[in-house]
Order: sequence, then structure tokens, then C-alpha cells
Amino acid sequence: MANSWPTLAGIAVFLAMLGLQQLIEPGTQRLLTAVFLFVALAQAWNIIGGYTGYASFGQVAFFGLGAYTVAVLMNNYHVSFWAAMPVAIVIGVAFAVGIGVPLLRLRGHYFAIATLGAAEGAREVINNMTPVTGGGGGITIPTFGDQAPTAYLGKPGFYIAFLVVAAASVAIAAVLARSRFGYAMVAVNQDEDAAASVGINTTLVKVIAFGVSAAIVACAGAFYAFQQIAFYPTDVFDTSFTVLMVIMVVIGGSGTVLGPLVGAVGLELLAQYLRVNLGIYNQLIFGAIIVLVVIFFPQGVVNFFRDAWRSRNFSILDNVRRYRL
Amino acid sequence: MSQFLQAAAYGFVQGGLLALVAVGFSLVWGIMNVINLSHGALAVTGAYLAWLLNTHFGIDPFLSIPIVAACMFVLGYVIQRGLINLVINAPIFLTLLLTFGLGLVILNTLQLVFTADDRSIETSYASQSFVIWTVNIPYGRLGACALAVAITVLLALVMTRTRLGRAIGATGMDRGAARLMGIRARHIYAVTFGISAALAGIAGTMIATVGTFNPTSTPSQLTLDAFVISVLGGLGNMYGALAGGLVLGVAESIGGLVLTGTWVNAIAMAVLILTLIIRPSGLIGKAQYGGRVEV
Repeated sequence: MANSWPTLAGIAVFLAMLGLQQLIEPGTQRLLTAVFLFVALAQAWNIIGGYTGYASFGQVAFFGLGAYTVAVLMNNYHVSFWAAMPVAIVIGVAFAVGIGVPLLRLRGHYFAIATLGAAEGAREVINNMTPVTGGGGGITIPTFGDQAPTAYLGKPGFYIAFLVVAAASVAIAAVLARSRFGYAMVAVNQDEDAAASVGINTTLVKVIAFGVSAAIVACAGAFYAFQQIAFYPTDVFDTSFTVLMVIMVVIGGSGTVLGPLVGAVGLELLAQYLRVNLGIYNQLIFGAIIVLVVIFFPQGVVNFFRDAWRSRNFSILDNVRRYRL
Repeated sequence: MSQFLQAAAYGFVQGGLLALVAVGFSLVWGIMNVINLSHGALAVTGAYLAWLLNTHFGIDPFLSIPIVAACMFVLGYVIQRGLINLVINAPIFLTLLLTFGLGLVILNTLQLVFTADDRSIETSYASQSFVIWTVNIPYGRLGACALAVAITVLLALVMTRTRLGRAIGATGMDRGAARLMGIRARHIYAVTFGISAALAGIAGTMIATVGTFNPTSTPSQLTLDAFVISVLGGLGNMYGALAGGLVLGVAESIGGLVLTGTWVNAIAMAVLILTLIIRPSGLIGKAQYGGRVEV
């Protein structure tokens, strides 16, 4: 079984991360929890943006909807988190299908802007449904005593929860990528008309890819809401979540399973390091690093090293010339 | 009734200002297929330049426009020649990411140098206004709006009547063919971006004259507005951007009067999505841009 080693490696990493939890302190656990969150988000974006080629800039809508579904159900209706989380996924997918059917007809930049608009719209709806969501005043999930529908998981609990979400997202991406559906997504990405002409139902492929992506993001949003306890619409509908997802995938290498993983882990650790050690300069350096990586590794770090390994050409200068005018 | 008239008049002059921000954004998008997420940051850079000229040398913001425009042109030319040209053939996310990173660098530099405080340029006339039939019109905003219209017309003339403008247009239509005709695409792209940056700088100067600006919230709002207006007006179309800006300005202003809560924030996005669904080529856009299949 020559092709089973990535699966084995994945399982080994998962078990190693589980074991690592016993060795590290709560602060580090929280840091890694954030890394896991971004692994899941990046994998989700990669399914619609990387494989299918539709750059969704509205992913944060699913995140916010997932978060608010859980918070509203737990706070207003005293529903257990484990019952609310699946509902959050269903709502995320329903929203994706609802906006996906009209918007996935648009291509390129137009799709990107339209999804951005949909996310802003979703935020405003949540923001103005004050009787249900608390509006701009935010919402709080009861976590203490008899009022708590589900006991708070704590740092160790959320470490495991986000690890499982991240692992599941990697597994879903890996399975999809190797399936017939994965080839259909890539075909739509490369040439949609050609894909349609060989009998691929392109609309269905795009909507399913968007839905799967939304499901992962909504699930991550649900856990994030529970972890945060209290939050505002501007927190969970923050466009910078979407931007980070895109950056992580593109820098890691879009259209690969490994790329988003590398991008999310690398960038989140880097961002945390800069935040702690460079204070006011952290955003400046972060921006500069994005610019440099885009210039030197335009196809993503993973794709660069894979191609470089195959062609035995590790020249970064040649790589810069690749997309030059 | 007079309330509505007042809101419409205010929205109109505000729209002119927004149009000035959007014209350069739309130009770069239409010609190079680059969405410049650092456009708002460039506008705010121009605003700081004008603010510096005003506070240190006492130059009136309207008079500082040529200096600001020249500086911003050079900055834009260098950015395009040195950075964006390197990834111009890559998939769209890359230019998005590059300009996003660039915006972060510019804004954080500005914030380190000038702090995050709100600034504005004080003039004797900006807060003065005159009254036409119960409607109050501030001089500063009217001047900015008139300037926006003048610059748009001038740019449209340059684009259609001069060798440079035609070279820019030709490169936008088909870069390969343009290069075969002896047009230096690298240089033309850099000039286009320079013009866009200069326009952003002028818009920033006007924003500083009629209101306040800061390096944290102003840039992203401007970029987003430019985005919406460009789509609404039709990409790469100067008059489209002007019309789009005016429509958005009036829609937001009247919306603010009619709607409650924070719904007014959703107006721009509603306008955007409706445009994309009903008429993707924009108000005055040509099918060439709107219908272009992008890779």
C-alpha cells in the first residue's frame, strides 16, 4: 500500500497532538487551539477556493451564523451544545446553498465581491434581530451552575474539540480530493465549459463544494462561540477571518491538502510570535511577510517545494520570474 | 420634504467625493484586472501628505493637490513596477493578497509615524455653507464634488484623446497585441497604477478637507466603497464610476433618513448584490468588461 502513508502520517500526527496535550501548559494549549481552528477554516476555504476555484470572500458568514445559532439556542432555548452544534451546521449549509445557487453563476472577482456582500448582509441581519440575538449588544452563553445547558469544556476540553474539528476537516479534504468528486472540482476550476461538456453537472459540483466548505466553517464557528462564551456580531463576522483563511491557503498552496495545513500552522504561529515579541510592529511585519511570500512563492510554499523536488530546480529567482510581466 | 432634499443634496456632494476615490480603483481594475485592496491606504497616505503640507507650510489643501498628486504618482509607479508587475500573471487571489499585505504595511507605517488619532485639515471655508431654497450646501464638499467631476472628465479625455491614454486602453483590451504594437506594457501598467494612486491621493486630500481621517478605520471603508462603486458603475469606465458614486452617496444618505438601526450599513452591499444579479456590467459598463471571463 504505497499510497497509505499520508493517512498513517495523519493519524500519527493526530495521536501525537493528543499525547502532547499532557505535556504542555494551558497557555500553550490555547495557542494550539487557535492553530487548530485556523487549520479547519483554511481547509474549508481550500475546498471552494482552492479546488473549485471560486474565491469566496464571505466564508465568515458561515462562521458567524454557526456561532450565533449555538449561542441563541443555548441562551434562549436552553438547548444542549451537542444538539445545537448540528443545527448550526445545517443552518450554515442552508445559507450556503441559498446564496450559492444565484451567486455561483458569477465568476472571478465578481463572485468574490458578491460573497463579501452576502457576509456583510448576514452580519447586519444578525445585528438588527435584537430581540433574538441581542443585536449590537452581543450575546452570552450561560456556562455556570444550573443555567448552563452544557458544562463549559475548559482549555483541555476545547483543545481536544478543535483538534478533532481540524482533523475531520483534513480528512474530509483528503477524501474529497481523491474522489471522483475531487476531479470534478478541479475540472470546474481549470475550465468550466470543458467540464460541463464532458458531463459534469458544474452547478451541482459548485454548490456541493460550497456547502461542504460552509459545514466545516459553521461547525468551527459553533465551537468558537462556546469557547468565547460572550461575543458581538462584529467579532464573529469579522472579515479578517475570511482574509486569514485566504492568505493561509494561498501561502501554503491552494488545491492541495497539505497546503492549507502548512499555511495555517505556519502563519498562525508566526502571527502569535509577532504579537508577543514585536508589539506595535507586528502588523507591519506581518504585512511585509505576506508581500514577500506572494512575490517569492506565488504558487504556495507546498506547490513550490513539490515542483522544485520533481524538477530538481530550487532556484527562487526562476520562481519569481514565473508570473512576471 | 425639505429633509429629503437636504439628504439628497448632502448625498450628492458626498457621492462626488466617493466617486473620486473610486475612479482610480476602477481604472486599475478595468485595465489590469487587479483589485487594489491598498487603494484606501493610498488615499489616506495622500491625506497625510496634504495634512503635513498644511500644518507645516500652511498650504491650502486645494493648492497642495498638484504636489500630493505628483508624490502619489511616483509612489504608485514604483509599487506597480517593483511589486505588482511581478505577479500580474498569477491567479487573482495573489494580486489581492499582495495589495492586502501592501495596505497593511502602508497603514501600519502611517500609524507608527502619525499615531492612530483622527486628523483633519482646518480651513476657513470648509465648514461654511450657503442655502438654496431651504437646502444647506457646504462649500468644502461642493468644491470636492466639482473637483471630482472635473477630474473624471479630464481623465476620460486623456484616456480617449491622447497617445498615452490610448496605449493604456489598448493594453487593457489585449496586452499581447499591445506589446506587439510596441507598447511597453510594464511601463504602461506602472503609469496606470501611478495615475490611480495620484487620484487616490487627491481624493484623500479632499476627505481630509471636509472631514476627519485616521489610519485604522478610514482606509478599509474607502476601499469597500470604491469596490461597490466600481461594480455599480462598470469597470474601467470613468463616467460609470462618477455615476456610481453619486448613486451610492444619495442612496446611503436617504437610506440613513428612512431606515432605523444599523441597516444603513447594509445599503452599499444591497446595491452591490442587486447590481451583480440584475446588471453585472454596471450602469454604464461595456459588455467587454462586465462579460469578460476572468481566470
